[in-house]
Amino acid sequence: MFEFLSLTFMQHALLGGELIAVVAGIVGPILLFRKMSFTSVGISHGAFAGIALGILIGVSPMWAAIAFAMGIGLLIGFVSKTGKISEDATIGTFFAFFMALGIFLIDISKGYHVDVMGYLFGNLLAISSSDVYFAAIVLLITVFWYLFRGRATVYSTFDEDFSRIVGIPVDVDYYFFMLVVSLVTIIAVMFVGVVLASSIMIAPSAASKMLSKKFSNVVLFSILFGMVAVFGGIAFSFYTNIPSGPSVVFFITAIFAISLGIKWSRNFVKS
Amino acid sequence: MNDGFLTIDSVTVRYDHYVAISKISTKLALGKFHVIMGPNGGGKTTLIKAIAGLVAYEGRIEMDGLDMKKYLKKHPIGYLAQRGAQFQSFPLTVYQVVEMGRYRFKESRMVRKEHVMRYLQEVKMTSLAKRPISELSGGQQQRVLIARALATESKLMIMDEPLTGMDPRSQSKFYEMIERIKQEHSLTIIMSSHDIGFTTAYAENVFCINKHLVPHSEAAKLLKEPEIRKLYGPNIHLVEHHHLSSGEEEDV
Repeated sequence: MFEFLSLTFMQHALLGGELIAVVAGIVGPILLFRKMSFTSVGISHGAFAGIALGILIGVSPMWAAIAFAMGIGLLIGFVSKTGKISEDATIGTFFAFFMALGIFLIDISKGYHVDVMGYLFGNLLAISSSDVYFAAIVLLITVFWYLFRGRATVYSTFDEDFSRIVGIPVDVDYYFFMLVVSLVTIIAVMFVGVVLASSIMIAPSAASKMLSKKFSNVVLFSILFGMVAVFGGIAFSFYTNIPSGPSVVFFITAIFAISLGIKWSRNFVKS
Repeated sequence: MNDGFLTIDSVTVRYDHYVAISKISTKLALGKFHVIMGPNGGGKTTLIKAIAGLVAYEGRIEMDGLDMKKYLKKHPIGYLAQRGAQFQSFPLTVYQVVEMGRYRFKESRMVRKEHVMRYLQEVKMTSLAKRPISELSGGQQQRVLIARALATESKLMIMDEPLTGMDPRSQSKFYEMIERIKQEHSLTIIMSSHDIGFTTAYAENVFCINKHLVPHSEAAKLLKEPEIRKLYGPNIHLVEHHHLSSGEEEDV
């Protein structure tokens, strides 16, 4: 039944996908409670412009995307903080621009054959061992951040004014968080593409939020749901020969729908 | 410390070009219960945020002779903001909310737990320590926030309209609790409120702002209509009613 696990490219896909599920499960709930769900959309579309720039100037598209994503993460944060507008409004303004910039840069990259669809929708089955190493490094950075600044970031998400009063460096923590979100988004882009990255970042957290009233459990379920969706999606894609990225997104959305059903049932029983 | 003052000297706060409060000056005796009154948009929250160091201001605020900005770097203050929507949906337990007040303290998890449970005990909320704060009533949430403010071990507690949405019985209990913890912890309390009746019964000093400081004398005189009209406009009329103490049964 699990013969696909013996194939090296499937092992890479599963390992890389599960690593993304873990890091997305850690940062996703904070994005959700800060009402910044759209952030990963903005960063992933910005990363597309970075990929295009990398192709144009002849440097690794992925390194260019990482630099772009981190810059855009900080830019979204800076514009939102200093302009006193929500992150979602800032992203709504920028993301179409970065997408247009990406298309423009790819168009002028004459002489290159560019797989735009590959970048937009990703290919989990094309993950290399170096991609997995990179995802493992992002996991280490994310866990390190969560251990040292996670509690303070949760506090400032809950009550920013009180957090400032007890001495939490709210603004510094915010920018660190944006950098971590940028890194997590970029590996999601590498694996499932620009368009589908936000699904793996947010949907598991949204599903777990409906089922738990403790923050630690929201994070735990978010990781678990992401991991189940990645495993199920990749296996389903192997046996049905459908693209792996969309398959994972189908599973994530199914988990979200089941959580919603459970939430509705609970509300019905209460009433 | 209780012989000193919190001095507000010609404090002005602007949001871009909008002047929220202008040249407010007053001296508040430490160790007392002060209430700020005034109409909506009159600047109560802005003044409270200026004292708490949450908005930039012109002028000077001093705590017992020390510049407030310097004071705040060394001492946290107990701060209760107006309750926001996050309390309705954020999955933190009562224990975790009070734990926020211990952020500055370098202490083991066991010591922190002892402190948190002690402050929850003071507001009679230990039995609800594991409950999500979103599941509590408005009055219970305020008690948790008071425990969190106490957990900072501050001598100054600032509260921004903490009674919003509370019924009279809960308000009465709230004031009695505030009075008790003020005595037990030698606190200076600054609170904004709209409730003239309760305020004049419990506060030791009331001062009124409507962008500027409105001249006033004692709390009791606020109940006289000309004083109130200065604040809320010419169409206000007072209706006397009896406040229940928390022990009394309500006549329905």
